[in-house]
Amino acid sequence: MSEKRSNTLLSVRSITKSFHTNSVLKGIDLDLQESDVLALIGGNGAGKSTLMKIIMGIYQQDAGEISISGELVNMNKPSIALAHGIYLVPQEPMLFPNMSVEENIMMGFREKPKNLQKQLTQLMKQLDWVIDLSRTAGSLSIAEQQLVEILRGLLRNAKILILDEPTSSLTFNEVESLFKIVKDLKKKGIGIIYITHRLTEVFTIANRVAIMRDGLITLSGPVEDFDYDMLVKGLLPEGDDSENTSVSQETKPLEYASLKPVFEVKKLCGNGFHDVSLSVYPGEILGLAGVVGAGRTELATTIFGKDEVLSGTVLIGNKDITGFSTRDVMDEGVNYVPEDRFLHGIFGMLDVAANTTSSRMRNLSKFFLQPKAEQEITEEYIKQFRTKVTGQDQVMSSLSGGNQQKVVIARALATEPKVLILDEPTRGIDAGARTDVYSIIHQLKARGIAILLISSDFEEIIELSDRALSMYSGRINHEFSKHEITQDNLMAAAFGVQPGRVANA
Amino acid sequence: MRKHKSLPRATTSVIFLILMFLGVGLINTSFLKLSNILLSLNSGVVYTVVAMGIAFVIITGEIDVSVGATVGMAAAVCGSLVRDGQGTLGVLLALLVGISVGLFNGFGVTYLRIPSIIMTLGTNGIVRGMIYVYTEGKWVENLPVEFKSLSQKQFFGTFTWFYLLTLIGMVLIFLFMNKSRIGRYFKAVGDNPNGATLLGIPVKETKLTAFVLSGLFAGIGGIMYASRVGFITPIAGMGYEMKVIAACVLGGISLTGGVGSMVGATVGAAIMASLSRVLVFLGLPSDYDNTITGILLIIIVVFDSVFQKRSAERMRKQRLAAKIVHSESASEVSSHA
Repeated sequence: MSEKRSNTLLSVRSITKSFHTNSVLKGIDLDLQESDVLALIGGNGAGKSTLMKIIMGIYQQDAGEISISGELVNMNKPSIALAHGIYLVPQEPMLFPNMSVEENIMMGFREKPKNLQKQLTQLMKQLDWVIDLSRTAGSLSIAEQQLVEILRGLLRNAKILILDEPTSSLTFNEVESLFKIVKDLKKKGIGIIYITHRLTEVFTIANRVAIMRDGLITLSGPVEDFDYDMLVKGLLPEGDDSENTSVSQETKPLEYASLKPVFEVKKLCGNGFHDVSLSVYPGEILGLAGVVGAGRTELATTIFGKDEVLSGTVLIGNKDITGFSTRDVMDEGVNYVPEDRFLHGIFGMLDVAANTTSSRMRNLSKFFLQPKAEQEITEEYIKQFRTKVTGQDQVMSSLSGGNQQKVVIARALATEPKVLILDEPTRGIDAGARTDVYSIIHQLKARGIAILLISSDFEEIIELSDRALSMYSGRINHEFSKHEITQDNLMAAAFGVQPGRVANA
Repeated sequence: MRKHKSLPRATTSVIFLILMFLGVGLINTSFLKLSNILLSLNSGVVYTVVAMGIAFVIITGEIDVSVGATVGMAAAVCGSLVRDGQGTLGVLLALLVGISVGLFNGFGVTYLRIPSIIMTLGTNGIVRGMIYVYTEGKWVENLPVEFKSLSQKQFFGTFTWFYLLTLIGMVLIFLFMNKSRIGRYFKAVGDNPNGATLLGIPVKETKLTAFVLSGLFAGIGGIMYASRVGFITPIAGMGYEMKVIAACVLGGISLTGGVGSMVGATVGAAIMASLSRVLVFLGLPSDYDNTITGILLIIIVVFDSVFQKRSAERMRKQRLAAKIVHSESASEVSSHA
């Protein structure tokens, strides 16, 4: 088998690509062998997606060549890539929402449907997956959609599978079964390019790793040659290695005795969560841990007036704001930075200034806007948050993920809230920007803002929180004081397991 | 949970059609006579053909408002040549007119990336103008009786041959769209164009084909129009775009693309054709025809979007509710705290 391992499936040589004057890839060399799981990591804007789109034939490179199994291929259409056994499972699944699962999987094949059906059932049995083929794809969860995508790729007998952040929206069990699948595929000789932001996964699943930064592969090699710190260093911009991801801004523990909660939720029930009670104190960061889909985002959006309250109360100070509209909730001093900034967070076509001040449009204008005030507020936040922009007039969608997130947080702050709900504030942004966001959160805490921090990244909860709750399947199942917040405790609680030792709730 | 696919919606359209006949029948019983019902269906043959063509375009998520002018142009070309004794050439040229208009639209929308509403609106103007140039503003009249009688020939005294052919065509297209690999591309492209690209489906070519088919069917509609009406004015086919778009929407073809079937388009066209006769039987002036079509179109679109939002919302709530762990098992976990 050892000689077989040396078979090169994919070989990418000196690929360059520019969009207008912006050079995104500056000469990429990449090899994928049979049975390789190559973890590709890199910050947002490093060029990972562009590279994958070139390999998939969606974009054309400006220069450089791609060969598949030693044969030079002019990859100018996705159908050519598919014919050569490449399949890309995109980060956001690209299913046909109005079609059934079966139609989705069968789409685009030349073979007879009957044969395909047989192969599909066989494949699903082999993988031990159960999914109702007659369901409409639009009704599937993201995780299920991803499984459908993988099935599509496997049914095509893909030899090269590209998984673009496959676990970013999966639950714990689903991640486990995905890893199992990846290992199975590896045994079959399939080469996998595994793009991820979760560094721990690199060591769990990959045998090789490549780090991309600024359109170049800066480091690559067998996983054994790397450790966690080396990966982090490789991701950080050069000359920035003094600043580690861990912001060790040790803060004094809060004196709870002298504080009164500024924000309270009592026995709140809504769509996706049940009987939730919590309170947040001024200057406190309350972590809300749990897996994706535990109901945390639904809780936040319901508090924020976007969904109906079924029962229970929400208090700010002593004022009952249960069931208020979003605008009224904001007026009462609660603001929310949503999880998915692309879907709910930004006005991509507008500039940075308009995005920053859009939340307080009403305060800024009598009838016409006041450009001066708008500029001042924007300038203040750009400086404070070290947002990298060419100017206030830069269009939002052209910023990197981390900088977009800073603008979104700035926008929430422009309303001067007493309570801020942050939903996955660092999801999908690179290590450098993450450090900045953490220090922003610390600044807010110092200002006395009560922060409810929703995160699936337990390290983030440990790093920032004064207290933490865990949510499991729509309910709060544990509360942890500062010293109890450990990776193990959070993990156990988030997956519905009894943590080893739990103190008073 | 039921699957909301095109067929149930086509069924509700059939029910709507029956109710409409019964409702009007209550007021004027002669409306329910078989001969009238058949007349209504047969009179809708041009709408039906054109609606099936435009359905391809709507299913791929685009729109084509040039079909009215295309019907008129094809009818004028076909009619004038038939009058001059060149029937076969007339029919072929009418089809060519349709295909050319479709190619023009499709090229503009896919390769020049012009929004389809603008592209086809422009085409509509161009083609309508060309009818005036071609006919010099005069009516095309005095078509031979044999040509006109083509549309009157009936199949066992029920459907006209035209309508029967249309129904056969409908079945064939239905099978093509649902059973063949390429036929399925149309829905895929309308449902999620980016997803279709990733699967190697030729999105541009599929859309171009949809426009060509829309033009071709409008061409066929034009030939049928010339035979049925027997004379062609420069405004022939005007307003057909609204009728057939309304027919498609009524038949459950979603304007956002990806959803719908040819059966729906056919039933919708039958409703549209009957509507004009309803006015006659209710003793209302036919001046209201277009207004009622327009109102109906808007009502259906609004109803559809509300309905879709509701069902999406209901699905979301069910999905979320399914996630909440039952109280017993939850307390089991937390009671130890």
